[in-house]
Amino acid sequence: MPAAGLKTIIALSFVLAVGFLLVILSCALFKVYYPLLVVGTYIIAPIPNWICSRCANPDDFVESSGAAVLDLGRFFTGFFVVMGMALPIVLAHADLIRVEAMIMSIVGGLLIYGTIISFSMFFHEEQEF
Amino acid sequence: MEEDRLWKFSKPEWLNSVWARNTGVYSAGALFAVAFYVMLDSAVWSGSSRNASDVHVKFVDWLPLIFSSLGMLIINSVEKQRLSADSFSYSGSGVAWKARVVLFLGFAALAGGMAGGVTVFVLKFVVPGVQMPALSMGIENVVSNALVGLSSVVLWVSQNMEDEYSYNLSL
Repeated sequence: MPAAGLKTIIALSFVLAVGFLLVILSCALFKVYYPLLVVGTYIIAPIPNWICSRCANPDDFVESSGAAVLDLGRFFTGFFVVMGMALPIVLAHADLIRVEAMIMSIVGGLLIYGTIISFSMFFHEEQEF
Repeated sequence: MEEDRLWKFSKPEWLNSVWARNTGVYSAGALFAVAFYVMLDSAVWSGSSRNASDVHVKFVDWLPLIFSSLGMLIINSVEKQRLSADSFSYSGSGVAWKARVVLFLGFAALAGGMAGGVTVFVLKFVVPGVQMPALSMGIENVVSNALVGLSSVVLWVSQNMEDEYSYNLSL
């Protein structure tokens, strides 16, 4: 992993701002504020991993219950990530939001989640072991 | 290890890595989310203004998904190592037998959910002759139950990968 410098922080915050811009535009352009749910989904997506990695001892290989708790956290993280993509599609299919708003909120949500993931990859490296 | 192998083709090496196991668990969660949101999509579409027909998604349509999810929860909660532990000294009295009964109940719930999805599709949508935009609610029901089954298969396989991995590490 390359050293996370000032340029990384600037680029990450820029991408985060673009993501929020896309999501807020997708709401405000059409005066329908359902796509804001996407932001909340992506913010709670890493939380199961954090909680379950606190609960489990990953060095414990004899009793595999620790690995089971870790797997539960991963399962729910995968669930929430797909939820962020599936929610605008469901809303657009039911004619609650427009298709343009769906595309903008999906792209914006992916940018926000990518920022969260790469931020934790760059700056929480020492917790891996 | 290599001598008591049954199949001609051995498992590739990369399948035993931590990376493959984590990817399997993540994608199981993703598949389950797709299943849930396909079903939710049919319910939301049923209540929306696009649904011109008289057919609506009721609690009956959700029952197959509930049973499939229950079966998936039961199957993946059982400790897989207890299945092969048949001797008394290794696992106590009859743990393998209990594990088989519980697993049977779980697979029965999963298969019952799938069969229920097909039943709802046939009895509610095909037999009354519902036309295409409303027929998609029934198709989504079948698809979501199949996806729950697929998700539990992926989770099962990746948990077995994890056992192999920890076994290799403890040697």
